[in-house]
Amino acid sequence: MFGLYTSAFGDLTWGNIVMLVIAGLLIYLGIARKMEPLLLVPIGFGVLLVNLPLGGLMEFVDGEPVGLLARVFRGGITTELIPAFIFLGLGALTDFGPLIANPKTLILGAGAQFGVFFAFLVALLIGNAFPDFLAIGVKEAAAIGIIGGADGPTTVYLTNRLAPDLIGVTAVAAYTYMALVPIIQPPIIKLLTTKAERAIYMKPQMKPVSRRQKILFPVVTAVIIILLVPRSAPLIGMFMFGNLLVVSGVTDRLADTAANAFMNVLTILLGLSIGAFMSAEAFLKADSLVVLGLGVVAFATSTAAGVLLAKLMNVFSKEKINPMIGAAGLSAVPMASRVVQRMGQQANPQNFLLMHAMGPNIAGVIGTATAAGVFLGILG
Amino acid sequence: MIDWGLVARVAGGGFGVTILVLVVLSVAVWVIGLVARGPESKSKETR
Repeated sequence: MFGLYTSAFGDLTWGNIVMLVIAGLLIYLGIARKMEPLLLVPIGFGVLLVNLPLGGLMEFVDGEPVGLLARVFRGGITTELIPAFIFLGLGALTDFGPLIANPKTLILGAGAQFGVFFAFLVALLIGNAFPDFLAIGVKEAAAIGIIGGADGPTTVYLTNRLAPDLIGVTAVAAYTYMALVPIIQPPIIKLLTTKAERAIYMKPQMKPVSRRQKILFPVVTAVIIILLVPRSAPLIGMFMFGNLLVVSGVTDRLADTAANAFMNVLTILLGLSIGAFMSAEAFLKADSLVVLGLGVVAFATSTAAGVLLAKLMNVFSKEKINPMIGAAGLSAVPMASRVVQRMGQQANPQNFLLMHAMGPNIAGVIGTATAAGVFLGILG
Repeated sequence: MIDWGLVARVAGGGFGVTILVLVVLSVAVWVIGLVARGPESKSKETR
């Protein structure tokens, strides 16, 4: 530049330009369409920054981070601190009341994890069919499959452990598809249910949940799940601890920090560093397209499995549940529940399914973290 | 080369374990409900 130093224009590649368009799209979706703005805006801006050449934000020298975002990535994502501590904030933001009032909904949350394992299988088959173009082994397939859980931090956590090269695209797929839940889910739910089933009435009031139950829930859940699936400990442990801070009623300051300031700081760092991992060289490859495609497959099969499991439960249960609440077994809280609420009202204006759907919805978060622990236990 | 035995363990066993864990948890939550509500309802009756 004027003979003083090198400007970045000459180093811009077509790949960078494509990624800048993608960055613009993510920022647009976040701001104009309000789709997961708290994540898509930082991710989009991270993509933008890292694809402007010579900025050095993701520079590593001899494997050591030198650039600003490289340091954040190494310190927060590679060490797994950020996704695990985001679970602390999620726990502080989550009300387990609907799930405790109706424990059956935990099974719906488990059933909806079918999509995770189905997408895992499909990813492997595709990788096996095109070995010259795709580098998808068992670990990569697990990272792709977990997108079906619709849980961003879990996706980041597992991908970092099993297939770190895919972390950018799996995170973007998880967060983007979470935002697209209102578009992806309704046609699948309609395909698998009759109007009469969608109109099944559920009493709006749920069983009362005592303070003692609310305090015991995170403690007992942490003990049971971590004993059964030890590798889920970082996620489940932080999730339940965050919730205990709230329900104990004696650590309000900590609960407030976990749910607000701490969570917001982590969200900024997560979004920027995930975006910064999406350089043209890392993102523009055949594997990314497969990941994005299989993400939809995973979401769709998870939704279908949840609905079908709810219908199966109705066969054996005296008190019928509206099968649409099974679709909320995805972790996408609270979008999946809102979809069920809206569709329930369309089918039967008397129906208020939101709280009923929150049970499987929250169970889905636990189920996805458990599934991640299972993957890590076998493959990690 | 894919180890299909491992794949079967991950896909079949993994999904099975996930279901099992959440079923165990749902039973535990149901039991907690019974146990926790017991003393509370008794104390309400006493009052």
